[in-house]
Order: sequence, then structure tokens, then C-alpha cells
Amino acid sequence: MTIFDPRGLSRRAIMKTGLAGAAASGAYLAGFGRAFANTLADIKQRGELMAATEMQFPPFDISDNGTYKGVDRELVDAVGAILGVKVKYLDLPWTSILPGLEAKKFDICIAPVTITKERVKRYLFTVPIANATAALMKRANDSSISKPEDIAGKTVGGQKGTSQLEQLKAFAAKLPKPVDVKEYVDNNQSYADLAAGRVDASVNSLPNLAYAAAQRSDAFAVVLPPFGQPTYFSWVGRPDDKTLIDAINEAIIKTESDGTMAKIQKTWFGQPMDLPKTVPEPSI
Amino acid sequence: MRPEVILHSFWYLMQAAGVTIALSLVGIALGFVLGALVCIARLSGNPIATRLGAFYVSFFRGVPLLVQLLFIYYFLAEYGLDVPALVAAIGGLGFSSGAYQAEILRGALNAVPSGQGEAAVALGFSRLAIWRRILLPQALRISAPPLINEFILLLKASSLVSVVGIAELTRVSMNIASMTYRPFEAYLGGGLIYLAINLCLAGFGAVAERRLATGRS
Repeated sequence: MTIFDPRGLSRRAIMKTGLAGAAASGAYLAGFGRAFANTLADIKQRGELMAATEMQFPPFDISDNGTYKGVDRELVDAVGAILGVKVKYLDLPWTSILPGLEAKKFDICIAPVTITKERVKRYLFTVPIANATAALMKRANDSSISKPEDIAGKTVGGQKGTSQLEQLKAFAAKLPKPVDVKEYVDNNQSYADLAAGRVDASVNSLPNLAYAAAQRSDAFAVVLPPFGQPTYFSWVGRPDDKTLIDAINEAIIKTESDGTMAKIQKTWFGQPMDLPKTVPEPSI
Repeated sequence: MRPEVILHSFWYLMQAAGVTIALSLVGIALGFVLGALVCIARLSGNPIATRLGAFYVSFFRGVPLLVQLLFIYYFLAEYGLDVPALVAAIGGLGFSSGAYQAEILRGALNAVPSGQGEAAVALGFSRLAIWRRILLPQALRISAPPLINEFILLLKASSLVSVVGIAELTRVSMNIASMTYRPFEAYLGGGLIYLAINLCLAGFGAVAERRLATGRS
């Protein structure tokens, strides 16, 4: 097969392409490469806090035609202003966020994470940023469900790997008739199946459901009261970043005392709500 | 059905479509360069180059693109190599497409009867002339339909790069679905744009094939 000898091709053309490729990737590395460090001092020196979340969790994280909005955005901007740094946001799928945090792709996860006994062993939680108590949502025209216990014998959907889904399973185990629990990759699919009639209710935190039901009152209604034990959402950092999390905690508490937090809550939840000033002991 | 959901987010979808097209173009170009190199290595007759080429193809064709992307973006970072999202996305698409394109090119070159090359040598054609006048024109014609096919597959596979945080068409459709609580409209919008892009590609492929076919009597 000597006629396929590579020397027959223009070696210069290959070299050129290779060099251009190397130069291009060098430019990318220079432009996008970031040196990450653990401490708050390095973030301040960089002048930039790199925060990651999944922008598909209204009202906390919304990508409105490409503009990042929601509770987390407004709160982390306020925190950044207090710390004197700019905030950069990274939109990643939820399943990639905690691995990305451990791989030091960014400084903090600002996706709301429910404080649980399992998770406090692995991550450093900030003080709560919102209530995360588990509740149920039903179809607006479904009169067979009027209180949480009415899901006995019905099908309920929720997002896999969330504490709300675990709370649902514990709650369902105490009901007289078994509940068929369907697990979804994300809540939006659970809502879609609720609208389509494949599940009778969706489980999530009360603030998420209240917002969803308000946006689509034609389709959805929240089942009150919330069935879960009182739990809270926090942001999380790496376990060895205590100085950073301490500084962020201080900033979050400052937003509570200067009225910023109440303003954000009024915008997105319709009413202000009290939050613990320390990281609470996980109840679940 | 609320078509205004799509209309409201039309420019957002268009920007995302731009990202999808740009990523796919760069990915297919990188894949072509890599594929050509691997194809040359496999046909070189050098046993080491042949094995390396075969290993490249079996690795990048055998591991799912999603796993490759997660590996490049997250796993390498654990070992101190912080690959930016854009580089991981282009690299993942390019390396994986390179494996497929190498096989397309190899198949096309092998499809040219070896007697033609031998006859050209006997007639005194230079090596360069054999490539330029005999092998490449025919190989190009043979490889055009599978290359267009590969381009369309790559364009659809580019939806996977959302795992490294790039707002391409699928990711943006998901964003719109979650923002509006209207998944049907959001995915319908995204799906129609994919279809439109791929119909253009298929049309381009048909034109290219006709152009290449003019060499035939």
C-alpha cells in the first residue's frame, strides 16, 4: 500500500493545521483558564466569586432568555457586593454541580441544597437562604386531593436524589394505602407528567411549588399544609473552605438585617419569611 | 399549546442555535483533521502507526461521548488539568467525530480499486498527481454522503455538551421549559430549529454530491 504513503500529502499543510490548532487552544487556555484557590483571600485578589447553579429551578434560578434571574442571583449579588467582589455564574446540570465543586471548577454552589444529616458530612453549608419544607402540588381541577394524606393509593412524582423525595417516601410509608412514587431526573418532568395526568401529585419544596402554581394557576394548585418537617435550603462549599463560607454567612446575615433579604423574598415568594441565623441541625 | 412561548424566546433559541452550529462546525473540522491523520496512520503500512490509529478509533468510537465529556471536564480537573468548558466541548466532539471520519475516509480510499493506482504508476504519474487526480477526487465523491451523515449526527450529538455548562439549543430549550412550565412548546421550538438546520445540511450535501458527480461521464 505504498501509494498511501503520508509523504504524498503536503506535509506543510498538515503542520500548518496543527500549529493553528495549537495556537487556538493556547488562546482558549489563556482566555478561559482560571487558577482556583481555596481561600477567601484568593477570591478577593481575583476580584471574582465563581458560583455555579442549575438555572432551571424557579423561583431560585431562572434563565429568562439568557439572563440569569431569581432568588439566588439577587442574594449572591448582594453577598458579592458586601465581599467587594464580582460574581460570575455558571449554569450546570444539577448532577454535575457537586462533582464540579469537588473538582474545584468553581468556588461555591448557589443551587439551593436542603440541609440533611448525610450531606453535612460531605459539604460545608451556609446559613439558610430559604425554607425547603416538602409539600405537594396537584392538578388544579383534581378535587380528590385536598390534604397531603389524600395521596394514599395514588401516584406521586419527584426529582431523584432530592431530600423532598426522601421525605415523601417516609410520609407515604405511614399512609393506609401504598403510594406509587415515580422518580424523575428533574422536577420539570415531574410537573409535565402531573399536567399530562401520569402522576396525581408532584413533591418539591413549598417555595418552588408555590411559584409554579402561581405561574400556571390554570394547571396546578398547591396542597396545603406542607407535609414535611421544617427544613431549609443553603448554599454549599467545599469542606476545607471554612474562611470563605464564614465570610459568606456573615454577608447573608447582613442582608437579613439591612432588609435586602426581605425585599428579595417579597419579590419571589410574595411575602418575607424568617430564617435561622445559624446552620440548623438537620432534622432529616 | 401556546405558540407565544416560542415567540417570546425566539432570539434566545436563535442564539443557542448559533452556539450549536458553531460548536458542530468546529467539531466537524477538528474531527476531519484528526480523522485524516488517523486514516493516513492506519493506511501507512507502518505497524506502530496502524496500531495507534486502530486504538484511537476503537477508544473514541467505543466510549460514549457523554462519558468522554464528563471525563475531560471533571476528571482531568481532579488531576490538576483545568480544561475550560468550551475546550472540553470542542475537544470531545472533535475527538469522537475524528474516529468516525477516519473510518469514513479509510473506507472511501479503499473503495478506489488498487489497480487504478498501479496503472497510474505504470503510466509515470507522480505520487502527488496520483493523489490529486485519481485517489482524492474519487474518495471525496464516495465519502460525501457518509460525511454529511456524520455532520448531521454530530450536530445532534452536540446537545450532550450541555453537561459541561454550555448553553446550546437543547439546554436552552430546557431552560425555557423550566421557566415557563410549558415543556411542550419549548421542546417543539428547539426540535423545529434542529430540523431546519439539518434539512439545510442535507440540501447542502445533495448539492455537493451533484457537483462532485460532474466528473463522471
